[in-house]
Amino acid sequence: MTTFDLVGRSGAGPRQDAAWSPRQVLITNLRAIRGRAYPRWRGMFREKSWIFFEILLPFLQTAAYVLVYRSLHAPEAYVGFVVLGGVMSAFWINVIWMMANQLWWEKSQGNLELYFAAPMSFMSILFGMALGGMVMSASRALAILLIATAVFGVTFSVQSWLLVVLVFVATLAALYGVGMVLASLFLVWGREAWHLGQALTEPVYFVSGLNFPVARLGLLGALSVGVIPLATGLDAMRQLVFSGAPFPIGTPAPAIELGILVLMAVLSTGFARWMLAAMEQRARRDGRLTIRWQ
Amino acid sequence: MTGAGTARGAGAPAGLARSAGGTGVRDSLRAFVTAARIGWRMEANWTDPILFFIYSVAKPVSAAMILVVMLAVVGGPGSAALQPFVVVGTAFWSLVTSGISGLAWSILDDRERYRMLKYIFLSPSSFLVVLLGRGVARLGVGVAGALITIGIGVVFLGVPIDITRVNWPVLLVATVLGLASVVAMALLLAAVCLQTRQESWSYPEAFAGAAFLLSGAVFPLSILPAPLQVVGLVTPLGWWIEAARRALLPGAPSGIGGAGSWLAGVANTTQPDLGWCLIALIVTGAVATLAAALVFRFSVHRAQEKGLLDLTTGS
Repeated sequence: MTTFDLVGRSGAGPRQDAAWSPRQVLITNLRAIRGRAYPRWRGMFREKSWIFFEILLPFLQTAAYVLVYRSLHAPEAYVGFVVLGGVMSAFWINVIWMMANQLWWEKSQGNLELYFAAPMSFMSILFGMALGGMVMSASRALAILLIATAVFGVTFSVQSWLLVVLVFVATLAALYGVGMVLASLFLVWGREAWHLGQALTEPVYFVSGLNFPVARLGLLGALSVGVIPLATGLDAMRQLVFSGAPFPIGTPAPAIELGILVLMAVLSTGFARWMLAAMEQRARRDGRLTIRWQ
Repeated sequence: MTGAGTARGAGAPAGLARSAGGTGVRDSLRAFVTAARIGWRMEANWTDPILFFIYSVAKPVSAAMILVVMLAVVGGPGSAALQPFVVVGTAFWSLVTSGISGLAWSILDDRERYRMLKYIFLSPSSFLVVLLGRGVARLGVGVAGALITIGIGVVFLGVPIDITRVNWPVLLVATVLGLASVVAMALLLAAVCLQTRQESWSYPEAFAGAAFLLSGAVFPLSILPAPLQVVGLVTPLGWWIEAARRALLPGAPSGIGGAGSWLAGVANTTQPDLGWCLIALIVTGAVATLAAALVFRFSVHRAQEKGLLDLTTGS
């Protein structure tokens, strides 16, 4: 009853109640976003093992790559490249495992049909997942950034803070937009989704230049900057926060990369909306929305 | 999983009781083989072999390529000399990642996704045997990835492996002992995942990534502070990779020794001989196996007591 009151239903009858005003639709969708983001936020405080396994251990992995450069007496800016790559990889991992794979996971858990039965846009569920995931990943990324900066003495030389912030926000928007597209695809892919998730980690790290300037990959690097937000965002941020570094030329200027990221974010979100509707329709037709474990 | 085809009903009451317990050698072997077949089918039966092959090798090959490009970025003769060292180290490391993930993910798969864990406990088969069987499939995928990575290294990157100069006995012994150590560590992570929630999917890889730092797989341990070098030397992974790499690449620089290393200061040699590496691998592997078995036993007991065997979570 309280729920009905919150969205302002009249209670005059089922037909009248079913005709929602724009305000009711908006409030319900906002509540769905908050509701879907909440378990991700709350989960951070429930079980603390993630602090060890998702901050400390990934930091050690980042440290291993830093030490590869140190053992080769590489310029110190390259250490910063690795740290920045370690920070951004936290978001990519989140996009792959907690966005793209999530709908397939929800299907296996038996939650998916409840989402479809509930009176809100499915995009609200995806936005909620993205919002909660961003908060989770941002906390991890920030911890890795602070620890690694302190331990390895990374020095940042920032060209424009405003541009850094804009690029970072646009990168997250584009990354989670791609996550929403993949989520709708994974909805119908079943077990292939799991393996595709595996295949989208190290290979994407490689073509995105996670630990080295992506321009070193030549044409492959240029293609990555054009289609993978992780590559575009990383390259732009490296140019902006290590402005004096010995940087190989070949990728666009940060302002142009910001434009590419904004375009990616808009296109991917719109595409995700279309894909979700198409995939949902196909999954309904094939009777795969409630099939588990395949 | 014991089935009616085992030695049940042979006439001896003691044999019958043993067979009913599902813990005889034949029962355990049958459970292991069955679990391995299930694991393999779960891994591979959703697609055609070519696609499965691409997925399986993309990860280890990309991991090696990241390091190869890092070396190329820095350039110079030091980088070129380190390339074979890095490619072989990364190839072996893919076995560590897949081996550790296999067992831990089996726990999460069976508990959270398929919800079969409690039924495995109810069956007469040993849970440990079933778990080991399930982990074998992913370890097999890891072996394929490692071989392909080395193959690509030889063909495209000029890694100088000469099959007439490879020390095959040492490579074989080191690999068998090394894989046993990987399974011990995987058991440790399985014990952790038995206690934790659904998000533990990332824990095995995070653990493997952290162990990467202390293994000397892609850079010599000597550049770490002495206490971290000691931690690396008491784990079996570094000794395994050292022995296997030097068996494959005679004359390769030492990953655990080297000038200025803690080991060189203690043992008065910059490059421990292969016999020494194998002995150290046996000792550290035995300690790791014992510790993992104890932790796993404790974890299973706690999971039964706390009702964690049918726990499902979400976020």
